[in-house]
Order: sequence, then C-alpha cells, then structure tokens
Amino acid sequence: MTTALEQAIQLVLSGDDQLVNIISVTLQMSIPSSVISLLLGVPLGVLLAFCSFRGKEVLVILNRTLMGLPPVVCGLLCYMLFSGVGPFRHFRLMYTIPLMVIAQVILITPIVIGNMESFAQRITPAVRETAHGLGLGRGRIFLLLISETRYQVFSTYLLGFARSIAEVGAVSMVGGAIAYKTNVMTTAIMNYTNRGDFTLGVALGIILLAMSLVLNLTVSLIQGRLSR
Amino acid sequence: MTIAPFRKSYAGATALDFPGAPLPAGQTCAVIGANGSGKSTLAKVTAGVTACGQPQVLSPPVSVGYLPQHSYPFQMTVRANLMLNAPRRNDPARQRADMLLERLEIAHLSEQKAHHLSGGETARMVLARLLMRRYDLLILDEPTAAMDIRSTALTEQLVADYQAETGCGVLWITHSLKQAVRIADTVLFLCRGRLAEAGPAERLLTAPQTSELRQFLDFYGV
Ligand SMILES: Nc1ncnc2c1ncn2[C@@H]1O[C@H](COP(=O)(O)OP(=O)(O)OP(=O)(O)O)[C@@H](O)[C@H]1O
Ligand SMILES: [Mg+2]
Repeated sequence: MTTALEQAIQLVLSGDDQLVNIISVTLQMSIPSSVISLLLGVPLGVLLAFCSFRGKEVLVILNRTLMGLPPVVCGLLCYMLFSGVGPFRHFRLMYTIPLMVIAQVILITPIVIGNMESFAQRITPAVRETAHGLGLGRGRIFLLLISETRYQVFSTYLLGFARSIAEVGAVSMVGGAIAYKTNVMTTAIMNYTNRGDFTLGVALGIILLAMSLVLNLTVSLIQGRLSR
Repeated sequence: MTIAPFRKSYAGATALDFPGAPLPAGQTCAVIGANGSGKSTLAKVTAGVTACGQPQVLSPPVSVGYLPQHSYPFQMTVRANLMLNAPRRNDPARQRADMLLERLEIAHLSEQKAHHLSGGETARMVLARLLMRRYDLLILDEPTAAMDIRSTALTEQLVADYQAETGCGVLWITHSLKQAVRIADTVLFLCRGRLAEAGPAERLLTAPQTSELRQFLDFYGV
C-alpha cells in the first residue's frame, strides 16, 4: 500500500510518458464535453424557467429523468448509433475522442439544464415582474435573466466538468480505452486495477483529485472576485 | 384613462373584485387598505404583468411604468441598472441618470453593486430606474415603505416633478395616510378584495361614508 503510494508520487513527478498521454486525452475529452454541455444547457435551462407553456412540467420531469441516465445506457445508445451496424457508422467515430465527447454531452447537458432551470425559476417571477414593469420586451427580459444567473454558471460548469472527468461507463464503451488514443484517467485506473497494477492507478487517482482541487479553487476565486 | 371592471382570483379564491375606476391624466390616485386587501393585485393587473382573463384592463392602452412592491435590483452597478431602462444609451440618458441619482441622494453609490445596497437605498435606486423613461401612467406599489422621512420627501417631490413634466397619471399605493393626504387627488380604499370607497382625497379622508373606511381611519387616529 505505502509502496504503491510512493511509486505513484514518483511517477507523477517523473512526468511519465504514458501518464502524460492519459491526462492529455482526458482533457481533450472533458474540456470540450463540459463546455459544449454548458453552451447548450445554460440557454435551454434558463429558457425552460422563463417560458410558460402547456407540457412544461412534462419537459422538466423528462429532463430530471435524463439527469439520472445511467452512463452505460448512454454508452449503449451511442454504440448502437455509431458502431458498424448503426445509422451513423459512416462518420467513423467509434473509438475516437469525438464520440466520447458526444456521449458525455448527452450525459451532462441535462444536468446543466436542470441546475440552471431550478436556479432560474426561483428568480424568474421577480425579474420578469420588474423588467415587464419597466416596459422591457421579452427578448431583453430573457437576456437579463441569463445575466442574473451568471454566477450560477460557474458552479454548474464545475459540476459538469467533475462529472465528465469522473465518468467511466459511457467512455469505456464508446472509447474502448485504447492506449495512447482513447484511454482516459478513469478507464486507465480501471484497467490497471484489474491487472493488479496499482501504482499507475493510484498516481492517476491523485492527479484526478488534484485537478479537481485546482479547478475548484480557480473557479471559487474567480467567482469571489466577480461577485464583489 | 380608466381601469375597467375585473375580477382576479388565485386558485379559485378571489383576491380582488374591482368595479373599475377613472385615472385622470396628470392626477394622482392613492390606493389605501389593510394588508391583503388587494392593493398589489390591483397594481399588477392594471400594469398588465398579471393576467386576469381580460386582455386589457386599462383603456386606452397607454404606456405604463410599474414599480412592484419588491422591485428587483439587477446584479450590476446602480448606474447600469438605470441605463438598462434608458430608451437609448446616449449622453442625455446618462445625464438623466445622474440627475435622478442626485435628486434621490444616491449619486455617491452609482458605481456600487445594486444588490449590496441597503433597503432604503434599493428603494430609491429602483424608483430612479423607473423614472429613466417617459410613461403615461406610473403605478407605484409602496415606493417609500422602506425609506426614511427625508428620502420619502425627496421621492414625493421627484414624482410630482416627473408628473408635471410628462402629464402622466399616477396610481400610488401607500400605507401612510399622511402621505395620501400630501400626494393624492383621489383615493381608492380597498377592503377584503373589494373597492369599499372611492372619491376625492379630502372628502374620503375627512368624511368617510362607509363603516369600513371609518374603522380603518379610526385605527390610524385620523
Ligand atoms: N400569487 C398569489 N397566489 C395566491 N394568492 C395570492 C397571490 N398574490 C396575492 N394573493 C392573495 O391575494 C390577496 C391580496 O393580495 P395583495 O398582494 O394584493 O395584497 P396587498 O393589499 O398588496 O397587501 P400588502 O399591504 O400586504 O402589500 C391576499 O390575500 C393574498 O394572499
Ligand atoms: Mg402589496
């Protein structure tokens, strides 16, 4: 146990080639998937809070259901769509980073939508009443509502990114955990552990935690600076 | 201008059954009544921010500036809050913002974040924001409830000047009878979701006709 930890720390410090590649692939997947989810989910979530129409409740419940979509089910869906027998096979995305990003966007966007919707619907009545009282148009009111949720966007992004780097079920199915190509931190930890090779797994675990710490620190710093 | 008769219910319970009332341009109509009597409901329906099953309660359909009881300070500077309601972002608008902030004595707060203001400062900021634009009718829902005596006086003077300049009508909800005496040409007295009495301010506040209004005034020691 202690030797595994020592070796892991050494591995991290040595800048091991394989380790660096795994981290790089992880970021190539996690940053685009969390950013795309944010770009899709923030307007949709705020729009859902802003609009009132028949069947809105159904949409909210549907989204909550998708928030709990098991990653392996999402992986299965993408597999069926993009593998050799699927309708999208011509895109040749099986076992590539773009498909891993697509799978994660499917998983993370509902979380972003749900998070933004539940926050925005709390302030919507007050914002709407005030802005409508000034005589502002619907478009202006919607933009104001987005701007009023801007601090929430940071914490929502964190949530999405955390989900993205921690997720393993979908990315292992559609990525295949191919070394130097689609092997990300979580799939690598799984593989090495299965092989009984704990050192790299522990090293990756440490890095995963450190990345999460650094990201959280950065975002809370920015958030504190902005909200002052 | 007139407010048409309407009835507003929340989940089946009638909040206000209003028989209609005239709102002469250039005049101020004070709305008084106990908590829950339907004053804010009257304001919201007249302003058109709450539906009551009728497309238009206000005729003719004029431009309305409505200050909710809890107007929302947007998370930006005080000045940005005012400029948000400027018809155009030009120099006259900026000068108008400066003028309003100065008149309400919050010019020194213009670069502060609006959501960090005190209660009375927020009340002045949201009023200044509303007055950035010209409206034919102002609906003010307890604009001075959070203000001290000085700010209240500044507010009354500022609204009077705005009214003199634009010739707009004002519907002003208040819990202060002294304020009603100062500002109002006419008074609407709401009681448990009904218009119990309406008329010229002096007559209503000195010679009430209904027992409800008499009781209400007695309690204030008028
Ligand atoms: N959104 C709502 N849902 C349900 N009931 C409501 C709603 N808004 C108001 N009511 C009810 O309608 C009645 C009138 O409310 P209103 O806000 O018009 O009172 P008010 O005269 O403005 O009182 P206050 O002096 O406390 O501001 C109250 O009994 C209130 O509980
Ligand atoms: Mg009220």
